Amino acid sequence: METTTLIPTGPPATRPRRSPARLVRAAAWIALAVLLAALPLYIDTAWLKAGQYMMIGAVGAIGLTLLTGQAGQLSLAHAFFLLVGATAYTVLAGPTDEERVIGLGLDPGLALMGAVLISALVGLAFAPVAGRLRGIYLGVASLSLVFLGLYFGQSLDSLTGGTSTGRTPATFELFGFPFSNGGPEIEVLGVPIRQAERIWYLFLVLTAIAFVLARGAVRGRVGRSWRAVRDNEAAATAMGVGVARAKAGAFAVSSAFAGLAGVMTVLWFDILKPDESEYGTYGINVSIAFLAMVIIGGLGSVPGAVVGALIVNGLPQALTLFSGDLGWFGETGGGGLTPILVSSFIYGAAIVVVVLFEPGGLAAIGRRLTGLFRARPREITREETS
Amino acid sequence: MTRNPLRTTAAVTLAAALALSACSTKAGSSGASGSDSAGVKSGVGVTDAEITLGVMTDKTGVFKNLGLGITQGNELWAKDFNAEGGVCGRKVKLETVDHGYKADTAKTLYPQIEPKVLGFVQLLGSPVVAALKQNVLSDKVVVTPASWSSELLDNPYVMIVGTTYDVEMIDGLSYLQEQGMIADGDKVGHIYIDGEYGKNGLRGSKHYAEQHKLDVKEVKVTSTDTDLTNIVTGLKGEGVKAILLTTSPTQTGSVAAANKALGLNVPLMGNNPVFDPALLSSPAAAALDKLYLVASGVPFSADIPKAKEVAAKYKAAYKEPANIGIPYGYAVGAVWGSVLKKACENKDLTREGIAKALTETDSASTDNLIADLDFSKPGAPPTRKVYVAQIDPAAEGGLKYVKPLFQAPDADKYQAPHQK
Repeated sequence: METTTLIPTGPPATRPRRSPARLVRAAAWIALAVLLAALPLYIDTAWLKAGQYMMIGAVGAIGLTLLTGQAGQLSLAHAFFLLVGATAYTVLAGPTDEERVIGLGLDPGLALMGAVLISALVGLAFAPVAGRLRGIYLGVASLSLVFLGLYFGQSLDSLTGGTSTGRTPATFELFGFPFSNGGPEIEVLGVPIRQAERIWYLFLVLTAIAFVLARGAVRGRVGRSWRAVRDNEAAATAMGVGVARAKAGAFAVSSAFAGLAGVMTVLWFDILKPDESEYGTYGINVSIAFLAMVIIGGLGSVPGAVVGALIVNGLPQALTLFSGDLGWFGETGGGGLTPILVSSFIYGAAIVVVVLFEPGGLAAIGRRLTGLFRARPREITREETS
Repeated sequence: MTRNPLRTTAAVTLAAALALSACSTKAGSSGASGSDSAGVKSGVGVTDAEITLGVMTDKTGVFKNLGLGITQGNELWAKDFNAEGGVCGRKVKLETVDHGYKADTAKTLYPQIEPKVLGFVQLLGSPVVAALKQNVLSDKVVVTPASWSSELLDNPYVMIVGTTYDVEMIDGLSYLQEQGMIADGDKVGHIYIDGEYGKNGLRGSKHYAEQHKLDVKEVKVTSTDTDLTNIVTGLKGEGVKAILLTTSPTQTGSVAAANKALGLNVPLMGNNPVFDPALLSSPAAAALDKLYLVASGVPFSADIPKAKEVAAKYKAAYKEPANIGIPYGYAVGAVWGSVLKKACENKDLTREGIAKALTETDSASTDNLIADLDFSKPGAPPTRKVYVAQIDPAAEGGLKYVKPLFQAPDADKYQAPHQK
């Protein structure tokens, strides 16, 4: 985000259609996709579970990096929109015949889309506030949403199931194919494709869609208007960008991403349980974790947000799993180092290091690394801000 | 051209990915199952020499003291159990993991530890138990949650060791009435933490109130509230005759202090987790004389032979300060011992065998660390007996019994939420 694209750089029509660099890049993407698709055949359920958790983080962080990095609006409400998405999915897809809770019995695929839409609408409803405040004031105002979410999660028992027992979400199904251990028995290369593997592919597709949409938004007209508003509202207005509209749009889009992450969260946990305290699954600490992801990754960078999510959501999980496999850290005793403790230190240190030495985050480091491979002198291209 | 290395890398990666996917190591994995020479069937977590039981605890999060205490109690039991010869010629081994009271970490750790264990002697934390509910159901693995909510009993694989919060409340209220501290038609306040713990306690007081026409003033708090003075002021205005607590120890201290300072001086009655010996060194210590505790498990320093034995062994083996988790962890182990012996008699040490043995266990004894437990009625609390204790700064652990194990008639008639 340290570069500004307000200066018109001319249309990219001169870009060659099939430059070799593009081919290389496409090949790398395909290789990554194949690798990710092959992983479930290779790694254990516990690691798949950890990988899925990173993907949840990635989808949410992409949404926040659009809002905070591209449109310049600080938001601490991300966890609230996660809760909205999770609740919406559970209610929309829930069975209609339960006496304790409300369910609409929709097809889970539709319910997922409905949940994303509802999250976007709730985000839009916050737009009047978001449009009037900026910086830390917006951050604090958005924080209130987390506490509202906590309150509603507790009091609207018939939707959320209440804090006492929570509520089990409907199994995700697509055209009658369940993403659970049920349904047809599938084996690929001798590996049974069961719940963990199926959910992996589902999340992979959802993350890929989120990624592509976000990159598209950043590179397109929408992204330019967001950055224009971020950098100078007066200048943006002069250039014909509707400031209120751009801000509201950014908030709605970001909320939609958070809502999708919420649906993924509830599918990952197999339970919707509104928080008992403000530090749980949909609490303030989750909002802060998302902020940490986008800061570590580099504000405004979509791939950076994904990498940030790998670190923040993945590190505690990976360390605990490694320590289980390798027998690191002592077996008993209270005062010793444990994976959870170590990962919170690393995660804290990562933020400090990024802020001190590379405010552009991992995205800036990545840009420098890829720059080494390029023969011609660098010019500011559109990719820089994405 | 500098792009060639990149292209090569990409091609190699692609090829490698394809190659790797062609020879997966995951294929064909299965649990070792079969029968040994004595005809005992075994499955996941059981070898010819060992039975592995899982412990998912909190060593780093908010409940690390309790988690450590329970884990050490579990370990003391395993040591004793193995010294007595184990079961079916096998020794018990514990596999411990730390989830830091985080449901997401627990959810990831579970698939790693699950294929190694026969069952879980400890599953700490209500968010963790909630998140793992579906896994427990689909893996048919018996677990002992360190939570006493009767809402958990809709899961047939959940083994609650002790009385549930709702039953504790009913027994406690009937004690207060028996002592003449409350009467039919009185107003009482109930302060509870919104969540699995508090809601379950409230369920009990509401049930008792219906039977005895009490007027319960419900006050919901969050677990992080610390100063409840204004709530006590409000309850004083309502003219309550007693205050019921399903709260954290800090909140108990605040309520007790306000109860004295405001001159309300009504009896306070709380579930087992509302007291912590640390309260005795807090400013509220002098105000705790009105507090009655209801619990099914004994405190660390209880005047019971088995509790004394466990305490002595604990002091010999560990150096951390003791808490109520130690006798509880030991008692859970003892119940598992009974279930394992039952399963051994049935010649079935598979997970199904354990689940079946659990429902056949109708009087698991823990030598009075906890009342005898009956797991043969699905959905019902395994016991409805409690002790009533009062604070006594002179006693080790700060508690003295005012009423030994008993069960109120109202508790007997009470229908738990998932009782069949």
